[in-house]
Amino acid sequence: MQSLWLYLYFPSLQLDTLLEQMRGQGVEERAYVVVDQQANRVCQLNAFAYSAGIRLGMGLASAALLHRDLQVIAYQDDVTQGRLEDIANSLYLITSDICFFKPHGLLLRVHHMLGLYGGLKAYWQVLKNQLAEQHVHYHYATGYSPLAAEMLARVGKNCVSDDQSWLHKQVLNCVLEDCQLDNNVTNKLSRVGIKTVADLLAISLHDLAQRFDNNLATYIGRLTASLAHPMVFYHPPEYFSRYLELLYEIENTQFLLNPLQQLFRTLETFLRTRDLITHAVQLRFYQRDHPPLECQIGSQQGEYKMAVWLSLSRLKLESLQLNSPIYALNLSTNNTQVRSPERPDFFTGKQGTVSRLKLLSLLQAKLGEQALYQPRLVDDFRPELAVQAAKLAKQGNITMPLYALRPSFLLPQPCPLQKKVRLIHGPERLNTGWWDHHPVIRDYFIARTPQGQWWWVFKSPEQHWYLHGIFS
Amino acid sequence: MNPILEHLKNKNLLWQGQQRILQSDANSTGFSDLDEQLQGGFPDQGVVDIHSPFGIGELRLLCPTLVLRQQRYDESLLIFIAPPLTINSEMLGEFGLNLEHTVVIQTSSVHEVLWSTEQCLKSGCCHTVLVWQQDLEIAQVKRLQLAAEKGQCVLFMLRQSKADSLPLPVTLALKLTPHTRGLNSQITKRKGGWPSGPFIIPMQQYWPELSIADSAQILHFEHPHSHVG
Repeated sequence: MQSLWLYLYFPSLQLDTLLEQMRGQGVEERAYVVVDQQANRVCQLNAFAYSAGIRLGMGLASAALLHRDLQVIAYQDDVTQGRLEDIANSLYLITSDICFFKPHGLLLRVHHMLGLYGGLKAYWQVLKNQLAEQHVHYHYATGYSPLAAEMLARVGKNCVSDDQSWLHKQVLNCVLEDCQLDNNVTNKLSRVGIKTVADLLAISLHDLAQRFDNNLATYIGRLTASLAHPMVFYHPPEYFSRYLELLYEIENTQFLLNPLQQLFRTLETFLRTRDLITHAVQLRFYQRDHPPLECQIGSQQGEYKMAVWLSLSRLKLESLQLNSPIYALNLSTNNTQVRSPERPDFFTGKQGTVSRLKLLSLLQAKLGEQALYQPRLVDDFRPELAVQAAKLAKQGNITMPLYALRPSFLLPQPCPLQKKVRLIHGPERLNTGWWDHHPVIRDYFIARTPQGQWWWVFKSPEQHWYLHGIFS
Repeated sequence: MNPILEHLKNKNLLWQGQQRILQSDANSTGFSDLDEQLQGGFPDQGVVDIHSPFGIGELRLLCPTLVLRQQRYDESLLIFIAPPLTINSEMLGEFGLNLEHTVVIQTSSVHEVLWSTEQCLKSGCCHTVLVWQQDLEIAQVKRLQLAAEKGQCVLFMLRQSKADSLPLPVTLALKLTPHTRGLNSQITKRKGGWPSGPFIIPMQQYWPELSIADSAQILHFEHPHSHVG
């Protein structure tokens, strides 16, 4: 089978990512550039900046002279890389072999997929639709070798073809500057009169190897597909984690909902395509001048929908205190499970709007996890140990024999009895716990105050009286 | 009949003096005297306002109702919101409540108490909510009442009586005072019925230890329980 490769070149990933947050807010009318700080060169720009005369590779000073209100953003490699992974992740749903050509490109192995889609044209149509969802600018080209495809995509050929001779002609027309060669090598070659790829390929490999280093020979071999190009194919991550850089810093938590919605939408797509749900998501807010804030949002009933997560996080955000403005967000989840749909009973008359687990997660999100608990029993005679508050979890209560009358409310600590009471019933003696350093010797009585309250009081061996509970 | 009156009557918003609505036995409070006064028992949904000093047996009065309701709506939740002290699970378990379907919400701010009460009521997955909240406004109670109707849930509000408290738009209001054999009680407000005079709810059948027989003036030592571990 003749091998065919498709290269996707994304010239302005970081800018596209940032501007997507502000779609419809007039960003098309403003000039934005991304500047590589080390080289001091414009490396990404939007269409408005281009029409103002700004070009790639320009210095920051010249760019600023060309437009009065130029918006400058510093280049960040990790944003670009993160976005490239997102795109690869989304493309993985329709094509199997994806390879990263960092920092701006993706290479797809096409010839294995043609049988599935029935031809290059149909394949490209599907791919194009998938890429449209990402809202990024890209150039593309096919080639019979990875390097050829890359070269054609970088010059912006934007063509998809499996015609070998036509593709070869396109490659031959390229100039040496389009090759990903070392500047020294390019200069050396141009000094001996080699300007285009056609010139380069006209010279026999043997002669070139004598004059130039091994790298050039390897490059030519890979370009003409006579040498295999080693590559590592992409495998999508098992867990979801997404970093989002904000276009401007946010101080008010309510304004965070918009970027959060974008994150939750990608989470929904991630989970839905895998038919998964998750019970908790971790949000990390990166604060200027302060360590990042972590917060976990849980849903007792596993969930994947954006709207549900958004309403839960809205409650959480109400109680969130920011120390300083936020410049980025990260959303991750590492605990997913296969979705099993809930089956509400069709015939029961009572139809709640919320399920039990949904209600509990709603309450937990607003009040904090420690505010909710389930009363539990532990097999112990000592009242303060028998009663335990458990965090909400699926735990069957142990069955244990329950003894005599117990009060409805217990004081956190027994407090000295300071009121005259009338003893009505008792005593009930507890003498236990001598084995675990928490011995209890008490005589419990039921007492009634003159106001008619029923109290649970006890007498210690030292003849001190304490109030321990109330029969409410 | 006037069509507006008929409409209101059909929607059960209007009742006539001679009519006495007999509710089903399923709502029985577990105390025959109270059942008689309420013509059946506590309402199936709505807000019940209970005015009582703390610790005289106001929660115990509700215990049989809670158990019955839990048995009836077995997968639904029973929720306690903002109890003044730790709820003793031993007592709940002793009375036969299933603790797995019981949740306690402990929060101190009034806003959060009311918010969580409303959420629980309208969720439709709780059968009974108990809330300890002293001060309530008419608009807030009205809102809780609507939420309780939406979720077909009953809300018991346990409050200490105050002299200057306003009458609230509740389904049923009870006033409790201590009594040697149980509770002294009075229905102060009731939707679809008349308020009652004071009457006694004897509670010896469930808690013989928590009552004083009128003749008994001395301490009893008949059943000394002793647990030595």
